[in-house]
Amino acid sequence: MTASFFARHPSVLWFLLCLSLFTILVTLLSEATGVGLISTSFVKTLGKTLCLCLVAIAMDVVWGYCGILSLGHFAFFGIGGYAIGMWLMYARTELIVVESLSKQVIPPTPAEISDAIGNQIFGVVGSAEFPWIWGFADSLFLQLLMVVLVPGLLAMVFGWLAFRSRVTGVYLSILTQAMTLALALYLFQNDSGLRGNNGLSGLQNIPGYQDVSQATVSIIFFIASAVALGAGYVFFAWIVSGKMGSVVKGIRDNEARVRFLGYHVESYKLFIFTVTAVVAGIAGALYYPQAGIINPGEIAPIASIYLAVWVAIGGRGRLYGAVIGAAFVSLLSSWFTGGGAPDINLGFYVIQWTDWWLVLLGLSFVAVTLFFPKGIGGLFDYLVRKPS
Amino acid sequence: MFRLLSLALVLWLTVPAVAGAQTLQDILQTHQDEVLKPGRRSVSVVLDDLVASGLPQALPFLEAWRDREIVQRGSDGLFFRAVEDGDVITLTDLDTGDSFAATDPADLTESRPNGGVRRAIGDALVQFQLSDPDISKRQAAVNAIARSMDASQLAPLQASIEAEPDPALKETKTRLAGMLGALFADTQDARIDAITGLSGDLSVDVRAVLNRILSSSSQVAAEVPAEANVAQILIVGTDITTEEAYARLVANDLAPPLTTNTDIREALVANITGGMVGDVPVATLDTDAARLLAYDALAAAGTLPPRVKEQNRADAINAHTFFIQYDESDAAITDAAATALRAIETKVALSQAADLGLDALSLASIYFLAAIGLAITFGVMGVINMAHGEFIMMGAYTGFVVQQFVPDYTLSIIIALPLAFAITFGAGVLMERTVIRHLYHRPLETLLATFGISIALQQLAKNIFGTQARPLTSPEWLDGALVFNDVIAISYIRIAIFVLALLFLCLILFVLKRTRLGLEVRAVTQNPGMAASMGINPDRINMLTFGLGSGIAGIAGVAIGLYAKVTSEMGADYIVQSFMTVVVGGVGNVWGTLAGASLIGFLQKGIEWLNPSNTLAAQTYMILFIILFIQFRPKGIVALKGRAAAD
Repeated sequence: MTASFFARHPSVLWFLLCLSLFTILVTLLSEATGVGLISTSFVKTLGKTLCLCLVAIAMDVVWGYCGILSLGHFAFFGIGGYAIGMWLMYARTELIVVESLSKQVIPPTPAEISDAIGNQIFGVVGSAEFPWIWGFADSLFLQLLMVVLVPGLLAMVFGWLAFRSRVTGVYLSILTQAMTLALALYLFQNDSGLRGNNGLSGLQNIPGYQDVSQATVSIIFFIASAVALGAGYVFFAWIVSGKMGSVVKGIRDNEARVRFLGYHVESYKLFIFTVTAVVAGIAGALYYPQAGIINPGEIAPIASIYLAVWVAIGGRGRLYGAVIGAAFVSLLSSWFTGGGAPDINLGFYVIQWTDWWLVLLGLSFVAVTLFFPKGIGGLFDYLVRKPS
Repeated sequence: MFRLLSLALVLWLTVPAVAGAQTLQDILQTHQDEVLKPGRRSVSVVLDDLVASGLPQALPFLEAWRDREIVQRGSDGLFFRAVEDGDVITLTDLDTGDSFAATDPADLTESRPNGGVRRAIGDALVQFQLSDPDISKRQAAVNAIARSMDASQLAPLQASIEAEPDPALKETKTRLAGMLGALFADTQDARIDAITGLSGDLSVDVRAVLNRILSSSSQVAAEVPAEANVAQILIVGTDITTEEAYARLVANDLAPPLTTNTDIREALVANITGGMVGDVPVATLDTDAARLLAYDALAAAGTLPPRVKEQNRADAINAHTFFIQYDESDAAITDAAATALRAIETKVALSQAADLGLDALSLASIYFLAAIGLAITFGVMGVINMAHGEFIMMGAYTGFVVQQFVPDYTLSIIIALPLAFAITFGAGVLMERTVIRHLYHRPLETLLATFGISIALQQLAKNIFGTQARPLTSPEWLDGALVFNDVIAISYIRIAIFVLALLFLCLILFVLKRTRLGLEVRAVTQNPGMAASMGINPDRINMLTFGLGSGIAGIAGVAIGLYAKVTSEMGADYIVQSFMTVVVGGVGNVWGTLAGASLIGFLQKGIEWLNPSNTLAAQTYMILFIILFIQFRPKGIVALKGRAAAD
């Protein structure tokens, strides 16, 4: 990755420039610096949006560049969130429990502390035992490793099975959708070991930093999300630009031909599928501490479909398109559903956007697919192309 | 006394009513003292005479007597039924039933039977009711006995069987007498006979009776008592855990409770003096080992009782025998009951397997119904229609709206079925013309566009019908269930869905294989260009095919709405399952869809049977199975071969 990489891909530089300017602007105007023009909750919304942009880029690489319409990438996002959430919840509960137990006349034993934490965390699902998957929950480092390893391994096993049997096209889409549905259904059970449909909560409180205000925490996570997005963007831009990028795009356009040219198509697909899953996991690990709560509903199949829709609206096959699509649609969604949009009074009927937004959104998918297959990002082509 | 009563009853039943000239009042006058001040012994005389009289008015009299409503008028010694309403006391003549107000309340003496007497009256009442000319009263009496079985009911019940005119009730009585006999018959042989007689019966109450005979309790003793009817000797470690065994010893005061960590902590807390426990500083007591040491030191000093250790526990357990003892002391009876129960349980297990099969069949038909439309649009045309679930929903809401206008449920369903087809056919054609037609070469984008339509339709339904579930009521003749025996039953609505699924299978096979339209559909899906050159209009065919698939989804919606609730999200519940059904079965083949639906339905029920408490887990494992299945048969169960299989 030398200067020539950026020279050949000026859009990467432009993107990084815009992202840094945006980050600096938001940081300066946030409550953390005392200006307070941007509220803490809005900083969180922006930070979450950046994470969604990151997972959207991953989706764009796997779909827009490699042609695999995965309807399961939000599952990896959720797994990343669960992995970091386990540490956040465990460590914070441990702090609370140790403090309350230290008021006892006799200092607590390790077993007593562990029992009390178990009671606190799993009381809602009628249990106090620590399931085996919480074995590493006391170590931030190991849980961070899980953020990368679990989505990566799951994607690798799933992808290996699927690509090996040459499951392609819509079949693969349905299969990935089945995977995320199975995962969501599994997590909905109370004995899944991850608190069933209660999910993990209180994730916005960072253990060890209780005294730091949420304004500061939110801006730190915002900056971290921005950095991750920037790094992810550069990483994927690098992957899709070189020789490997050409092969991957070739697979998208004509898989059989690439295979006949002697490339091991399955390996390329598996690599792309796994790498994007890992990035999705990282994005999730940054997203859920800002959201504060994660539950199995988050990884229902519909979330992954939305992900695909963001990429489609933003414009497939261009990384900034995915960013624009995710930011545009998710911010617009929260504006409309949050009651930000004014109702329209037709005289005989009042259109309340909280009710009608989804109808509008749905119809706009249809319009985009039919009339703007290149998405919003396609508009840039008109700017860049010199009038002849 | 009961034997006496039943003897009297038999006499009354065999000897036709001798009474006629006799009135109830006459009998009561004969036994004035006993009626007025009944004792547990003296009352039987009155009851015997009443039973022997066979008077119909004896029944209300007994009820009134039990309810303490019988009074004697001092002036002439006659008995009446008295009902007090405020200040007015209404007297009723016991024979004629004429009512009149009492002129002199002070002249009336109440008969106040005590608890024992009232019970005796109640038993006599049962006999009356068991032989009452009114069948509903007899039925009620039998039901009352079945609810609370009691030894005293056996004789009167057996006595009433012979003269029972209604064959169905006679059978019920015989069965009930068998159960009572198994529980309460006097001799061992009679009980064993009764128990053996029950062994063919699968019903829950018979199993309850047998289990009652076999009721047992866990016991522990140093030696098994010789007179105990032992069901099983428990081996510690295999049949019960060491902890359970010791807990049982503690519960029976055969061993001191184990000193738990909590006990140790509390004992130590109680013995803190100046920051020290014994000679150990409190701050160092943060491990179990340190606490044990401190406790043992205190115990050695005599401050605390010595700790009960693991070794003590093992010794105590070894010194005792744990066993399960039947409450029934006669081993021959428990053996007979155990044999009968085993025979019944084998039959029950077989029936349950059959019932599970029926359940799975009906689940498979629901999946089939939901997926059959998709088998056409996705399977035959290759169009991914994510809004297929919403067509199901539209069909169900059509049924709901029709029921708002047509109150007759049968008629409304008959109207709703074709109407749902027409509406969803129209919606399908509209969608094909405006959207899907432009995307035939971009299947993945069809997925997105139709997903957009899907969420728009879902939200639209929410805006129109609200978020709460709407009922779709099935006609009365679909209520209830077809009952084969006490275990195997299937509701008529499920049978109807099964029949509907079968009907659709035939219909679609007929349309695809035997009609001009079907021929053209198959031609267009295999090679649109060639089909067009043969004079087929592919546009028209695609439109009709898509309409047909959507219309079938609408009809499926009505059927599914009858079975489940109608909500705006009902389509979304079926869509992933439906796609999997089609993919597992094999795309492009209706038989494949049938195979896929059967596989998924039976598999899901099978997994649920293994772990009945958790349907979520069943679904999870089923999806995992499907994912694995597709790895090994990517083209589904029924894979197309040759040119038709080309992508």
